[in-house]
Amino acid sequence: HPSPFLTPPPSAQAGTLALLHLRRDHILPLHLSPSPTALANTRFGSFPHSTLIGVPWGSQVLSYNVKNAPGDRGSGVSRKRKRGEGEGNQAQGAQVAGDAENGDGEGEQREKKMEISIAGTGFAHLLPPTPELWTQSLPHRTQVVYTPDYSFVLSRLRVRPGSTIIEAGAGSGSFTHASARAVFNGYENGRKEEGSTGEDRRGKGRKGRVFSFEFHEPRKEKLQEEIDAHGLGGLVTLTHRDVCEEGFCLGTATDPTTSNNNLDTAPNADAIFLDLPAPWLALKHLSRRHPTPLNPTQSVRLCTFSPCMEQVTKTINTLRELGWVEITMVEVMHKRLDVRRERVGVAEENLRGGIGVPKDVSEAVRRLREVTREREEAQAKQIANSRRRREGGGGGEGKGRKGKGGGEEHMTSRMHRREKMLREAESRKLYREGRLVHRTEPDWKTHTSYLVFAVLPREWTVEDEERYLVKW
Amino acid sequence: MNSCIEPDTYVILRLPSEQLRIVEVKPDTLITIPKLGSFPTNLIIGRPFHFTYELHERRPDEPFSRLRVVPANELHGDALSSRDDAPDGVDDGSDEPETGAQFDIVADDGSVLMRNNRLTVDDASRQHLTHEEIEELKKVGTGSGIELIKTIMASHAALGEKTEFSLAKYTLRKSRKYLKRFTILPLDVTNLAESILEREAPKIMELREETVALACAWSNAHWSEGTGEEMTGRWLVIDDSGGLVVAALAERMGILYEDKTVELEDGDDGAPNEADANPDYTADTTRGTEPNEQQPNEANPAGETPNGHSTPRKPPRPRPDGLPLNRSHPAAMSATTNTLTLLHPNHQPNIGLLQYFGYDNSAPVSSHPLYTHLRTVSWLQLLHPSEDPTYIEPDVVSEDTLAAMKSGKRGNYYRKRRRWQRVKAVVDETRGGGFDGLVVASFTDPKEILKHTVPLLSGGAKVVMYSPNVEPLTEVVDLYSKERKAAYLELKREPETKTTQNGGHPESHDDDAEKEMDADFPVDPMLLLAPTLQTVRVRDWQVLPGRTHPMMTSRGGAEGYVLTATRVIPHSGAVEARGNASKRRKTEASAGPSEVDSDAGIEARAKRGKLETGSEMEVEV
Ligand SMILES: C[S@@+](CC[C@H](N)C(=O)[O-])C[C@H]1O[C@@H](n2cnc3c(N)ncnc32)[C@H](O)[C@@H]1O
Repeated sequence: HPSPFLTPPPSAQAGTLALLHLRRDHILPLHLSPSPTALANTRFGSFPHSTLIGVPWGSQVLSYNVKNAPGDRGSGVSRKRKRGEGEGNQAQGAQVAGDAENGDGEGEQREKKMEISIAGTGFAHLLPPTPELWTQSLPHRTQVVYTPDYSFVLSRLRVRPGSTIIEAGAGSGSFTHASARAVFNGYENGRKEEGSTGEDRRGKGRKGRVFSFEFHEPRKEKLQEEIDAHGLGGLVTLTHRDVCEEGFCLGTATDPTTSNNNLDTAPNADAIFLDLPAPWLALKHLSRRHPTPLNPTQSVRLCTFSPCMEQVTKTINTLRELGWVEITMVEVMHKRLDVRRERVGVAEENLRGGIGVPKDVSEAVRRLREVTREREEAQAKQIANSRRRREGGGGGEGKGRKGKGGGEEHMTSRMHRREKMLREAESRKLYREGRLVHRTEPDWKTHTSYLVFAVLPREWTVEDEERYLVKW
Repeated sequence: MNSCIEPDTYVILRLPSEQLRIVEVKPDTLITIPKLGSFPTNLIIGRPFHFTYELHERRPDEPFSRLRVVPANELHGDALSSRDDAPDGVDDGSDEPETGAQFDIVADDGSVLMRNNRLTVDDASRQHLTHEEIEELKKVGTGSGIELIKTIMASHAALGEKTEFSLAKYTLRKSRKYLKRFTILPLDVTNLAESILEREAPKIMELREETVALACAWSNAHWSEGTGEEMTGRWLVIDDSGGLVVAALAERMGILYEDKTVELEDGDDGAPNEADANPDYTADTTRGTEPNEQQPNEANPAGETPNGHSTPRKPPRPRPDGLPLNRSHPAAMSATTNTLTLLHPNHQPNIGLLQYFGYDNSAPVSSHPLYTHLRTVSWLQLLHPSEDPTYIEPDVVSEDTLAAMKSGKRGNYYRKRRRWQRVKAVVDETRGGGFDGLVVASFTDPKEILKHTVPLLSGGAKVVMYSPNVEPLTEVVDLYSKERKAAYLELKREPETKTTQNGGHPESHDDDAEKEMDADFPVDPMLLLAPTLQTVRVRDWQVLPGRTHPMMTSRGGAEGYVLTATRVIPHSGAVEARGNASKRRKTEASAGPSEVDSDAGIEARAKRGKLETGSEMEVEV
């Protein structure tokens, strides 16, 4: 069936991937199940799959109270959490024990039928999957390549609709999904046709492909499941293989008799991305010598992705020896920015998100005057008080209460001011006030990896050159 | 695309100075590179990309130079021979003195210099060859620049004092200046942008490759395929970068390049067969070997475009399959799937850069994919279609009158009708909305752009805005801030109470209220989810044995920012409106903004619990 990443239907469908956007950077992938008991439990409430299926993408969806939910199945995607203890939360459904995400409950008979009702609080947004959102939400099994890096890599590698790219190791599949979108120019009819020949793989109308390699078997299996579930099986060929040992031509690992210059099995790649600990060990398999996994008719581009400089040096030395050209190395530096309004002024003193410092010097002076006057008034009052007391006799205790009395006065005037400010704030439009500022967000990834790029031009023989000299 | 150098296309030459130069590959002409020389275009047609060529010294009887491909090991000679772990055989035999020493790393500021470098004097007087002598040497033509450099190096008095490190720098400096080399790169969106950035960065809004890549990724633009009748894969674009953003999106959607593979490759030997099919270019076996017979002595100025913007694309030659142009192709802008709709402020969109990809908007070629897949709509057409004359239906003329018309007039009539049909269809479909994404790179006020375009997006669609400067985008983020969303919801919740207050004169009140509403909420803040502001920048490194470090300088200028968000469909009722809404509202409101921005209520309450126990006092917003 078609991939929701590439050709999404207008609304969420059972049996496919949908993303539940709970809050910024908190996205829950859901494989929507037709089962009436399938549930996504989040800290923002429960979302029965049945209430999401058929809902147009982008919709704000409400959380539900669930009664008689199926037992704990512990998918581990979202840990159960005590739901909020506030008002408005209809108490019955509040403790949803089960985490029945991906639940398939059909086979299992429940004594009581599950009941759901709108909770009244808690909501999320239902989004169609994209490689960017998948990268944010995928189950991490390895380090992954994030959007700023992969977008740049795919751009430098000139991966476009119809391209063929080799990727190793596949890891958690972040780069795999981005590559699949980049090369997509239609689904191939059937996985591999008998008659599919060189013309199809090379010529006009050739379909884009991703040849992906991973030598960690469980990781490969998990990714294969995801690729199939995401409708990318026809686009992505995932192979369990140590590429440093065995290279990139298919058919050799499982079936050594297969001729690996057969176009059905040679990837015929235009681009290669190596996210491996020792990429230089794989480079010998990327030559133009027979059998080659490379597209023989054009320049082939390569990128390696390594966190350490030592890896870079080894890779580049090897590339130079093997005749690659246009060798460059870069880092991609990315930051996200927070934007907020910075409100400064005496009026902000007791407000959240404000800075209670005078907004200018005149405000400072004004406040000083005000405080001075208040002090003087308080003092005058005190003096008057003590005089009255002295006149009425018994001056001893008056001294003891002096300081306290002044403090009280001070306190009440401050509380007064605060209440006044809070009252005034109610009619203020705080969202429009203050200065708009931006800054780097609190957690800044300052290094991901070094990216080495190189190009291997196509072979050009003396005979080729002679032929063209005649032609042109 | 890009498998080899095709005739009548543009390519990019990278010169020894690292400068990029756009040239048109016109058969039977010369390409002239100032200071380097000229060579016949035919020597590169059909050849692979990414070769570095060296111009041979001109023969006395020829007005141009012949080319030599510089092999990779020669290009890397320096780096390979100075590898400290290099096997003995790798040295390419250059006459650089082998010091055999291990070198220290040099600090960026040059403070910790390695062995003896402090003693060498970088003084022009130490170079015994005078400038005149160098010129003389060049004329004598000792071959390529390498020879010249060797001569200069040999005459350098201080050579013995130099370390390998400074020699490498020295060689590099001299190489740039004297090597008669150039590299041929394909003209694609990235290389085009790079070459424009060097000279006229503001023309493309200073868009760097990494920024374009990031923006395009978030836009989710990709090749789309129709599933049935409905229109799919439609992206809305606003582009003040001269067409660069349109080109970048089109590249990712597979509609930028005309597929000429079939024309150029005749399966067996990969040699071009176009010459056979094309009457203008019947095979002339002598042309390649004796170009001076065919070629007038002057360099052809049309063969290069020094400023990169002057030469308009020539209409292509007839198709080799013999089909006449403009027939057998669907009508302009007629595609409904995998399309770009460009919203533009003028009568004609400014997308001149597309001519480098064979698409001239004023005279589009029907075989180009953009002919059907790029749709253009002006703001006037979008917002006030009836004021645009091309949107208004031309009078229908009866069959009889038509029959009586002169053929020219009749053709005119049909052309007008066709244009009207096209404009009407494109404008109506655009106004109908349902787009899958919006990509904006514009100097126009983002508020207004969003106000008119976000409603045209379908739920889940991606919004991407680029700006060279951060300020316009911080304003956008602020329009969709949690605080503003909360205030907006608040206002929506109690429209009755507000209007009834003014009871008698709803007219005047509505006017005022509307003005205030517009000022406070220029856009509906609920329509975009999680607006995120980011910036990306690539840092280049030099990697050479013992001399690896980031580049010392790079281009400054605009930082470049990208805003991304998702179009969402808010729930029609207030989400918290169930139950005892009025009682709850007061307390809920004090939970503040976090409640609204999909930080669903539960979390907000948890937060509030914490806040209330603290000394801080909560304010209702
Ligand atoms: C950092 S992860 C790749 C992450 C991936 N690029 C992504 O975006 O999710 C590296 C992967 O390479 C695999 N790997 C390492 N060496 C390999 C080899 N020689 N052949 C195949 N896979 C290998 C590891 O098992 C690991 O899963």
